[in-house]
Amino acid sequence: MTAKVSLRGLYKIFGPNDAAMVPHVQAGMDKTTLLEKHKHVLGLQDINVDMQPGEITVIMGLSGSGKSTLIRHLNRLIDPSAGEILVDGQDVMKMGQAALRDLRQKQMSMVFQKFALLPHKTVLENAQLPLSVQGADKATCDAEGRKWLARVGLEGFEDRYPSQLSGGMQQRVGIARALTANTDIMLMDEAFSALDPLIRTDMQNLLLELQKELHKTIVFITHDLDEALKLADHLVILKDGAVVQQGEPQGILLAPSDPYIEDFVSDINRARVLRVRSVMKPIQSDNFDGEVEASRNLEDMIALTGGDTNHVYKVTDGGEVVGQLDMKDLVKALVPRVSGS
Amino acid sequence: MAAYDGIFDGLGLREWCDVGKEDAPMSMAQLLAQSGGNDAVAEEGGLPFPSLDVLHEACGRIGQTRDLTAGIEQGFLSIRSELKFVLDPITQPLSWMLDGTLWVFQSAPWWLMIPALLLISWLVSRSKSVTAFVGLVLLFFGFIDHYEVAMQTLAIVFVCTGLSVLFGVPIGIGMSKSDTAQRTIVPILDLLQTLPTFVYLIPLIFLFSVTESKLYGIAIILYAIVPVIRLTDLGIRLVDKDVIEAANAFGLTAWQKLSRVELPLALPNIMAGVNQTIMMSLAMVVIASLVSAPGLGVLVLRGIRNLELGVGIVAGLGIVLLAVILDRVSKAALARVDTGRKEH
Repeated sequence: MTAKVSLRGLYKIFGPNDAAMVPHVQAGMDKTTLLEKHKHVLGLQDINVDMQPGEITVIMGLSGSGKSTLIRHLNRLIDPSAGEILVDGQDVMKMGQAALRDLRQKQMSMVFQKFALLPHKTVLENAQLPLSVQGADKATCDAEGRKWLARVGLEGFEDRYPSQLSGGMQQRVGIARALTANTDIMLMDEAFSALDPLIRTDMQNLLLELQKELHKTIVFITHDLDEALKLADHLVILKDGAVVQQGEPQGILLAPSDPYIEDFVSDINRARVLRVRSVMKPIQSDNFDGEVEASRNLEDMIALTGGDTNHVYKVTDGGEVVGQLDMKDLVKALVPRVSGS
Repeated sequence: MAAYDGIFDGLGLREWCDVGKEDAPMSMAQLLAQSGGNDAVAEEGGLPFPSLDVLHEACGRIGQTRDLTAGIEQGFLSIRSELKFVLDPITQPLSWMLDGTLWVFQSAPWWLMIPALLLISWLVSRSKSVTAFVGLVLLFFGFIDHYEVAMQTLAIVFVCTGLSVLFGVPIGIGMSKSDTAQRTIVPILDLLQTLPTFVYLIPLIFLFSVTESKLYGIAIILYAIVPVIRLTDLGIRLVDKDVIEAANAFGLTAWQKLSRVELPLALPNIMAGVNQTIMMSLAMVVIASLVSAPGLGVLVLRGIRNLELGVGIVAGLGIVLLAVILDRVSKAALARVDTGRKEH
């Protein structure tokens, strides 16, 4: 599978003479030294990420880790100091103004943390913006705009203005706007961070539901690990502008590579996030207490057994037997590996 | 013996100073000293400030201050014909516009003009009370026989404000797009705003004949264009950065960004600038009557010149009334675009 978007050796340094600072960073200078000695701020260092088509890649990090800077490199709202950005194998850095505009119009759409809707336009006009920018005729704009607004649950709000809607509804307009662009790639910059928890869950479910149908390549930025684990097919964890670990989220949760990530994952409700697939073992016994789907989460399993750890289950995936689950392994997996132990 | 002789001698410049020395015309200080009958420098007994006039006494090569002012005048006069050659044709349309509009406002009968103005007020402000107030004021002008001069003033304000907006908004947009442009233009705007209004009438009088209407047209526009430029610049710079980023992310061209995002969002600020521009051109129209601008200002001037107290005060209050209706109408328009985006 070839990556839809790849970042190769991406560096970003803020300052008047950023390109000249890249060798210093490559030679191992850290953020504080760079700031003290050269008055340049290190944004991102040596980022290598492949984003697969049809997957949700979540980039997670605390504030200041460079995640918002990173996502803005994909459509070159920010230019890197060094490195390559490949979209469908094409180097975005080599694009001229017109090609870049074309990329932004037809290949990548974006959803913003603060919604960034046009306050003087109606919801419908906002949703059809990407098409009208491309010069589509009014009927097409209208039809597409209404279609996607209905899809995100905003039927009947077409003629309202953004300021008349709640935050969650405004972000639905933001998502409808990105969908109207009909691009393969969707960039979501902390799209749900400004929403309150209940609405955030709704929006996450909406996104997963849309994704099941549309199979877009989604790059999602968040600082919330629960959100990251819920959405991610591929999870990238950033710290101080560098990737500390990336991979399949269950894998990161079970085998954190770094004390920083151990700290991070220790507060998580593991029972809800981990799935049977991640803790099962190859078939050994032939005496099972029942059959379970590999995609069930551990919380379900505990409820099923009523807390009894002596059960062993046969694990199936789409009717095929793929392994066995010992409830004792399950309970062990619930205890996070503590750093230093 | 002048106070700074020693310095020039010490520097070995005496000979250079004295080349072609003749009796230069006396400076004002010398003249005063002479008429007073004693030496000014000696009387103070100290060191005089080394001004041009004092240094001139010590060294004849150094010019006097009056040479400076004379030099500016000479310089201006020497390029005057070239300046006139360039500026005259460029500014000629302004004369035509002013004369044309004045003609329209004066020759249209009042029963056509007043309803037309009321219609404009209604279209701009969409407010019944403001329109009714405008009607009352216009009828009052007619009633006290000041209708015609008021129309002249109004005509000039219309043309000058219109042109100020026409030029000011693009300049403001240019300024908002480039920090260099902003750094260059802001001092010029400061200069235009603080230079005493009479001062920039002076070179204009040298350039154009006083009977030409573009003379006062240029003076008014130079003075009144400043706020619309400033507030257009400010308005565009204040547009929400997130919205601009979204516009970039969806691949809007520079023109689409300007016309669909920046200008609409900057509109309340631009309208505030237009309101200020109207007020300032109305203020300037009075001073411009010194250089043949017709209208209420002429009556104010007559009041001052002939000490006709009543004439001056009535005309002055007339200007206040015009200012109030122009302000109310433009403010109502501003309020309309302002609320237009918050709560429909």
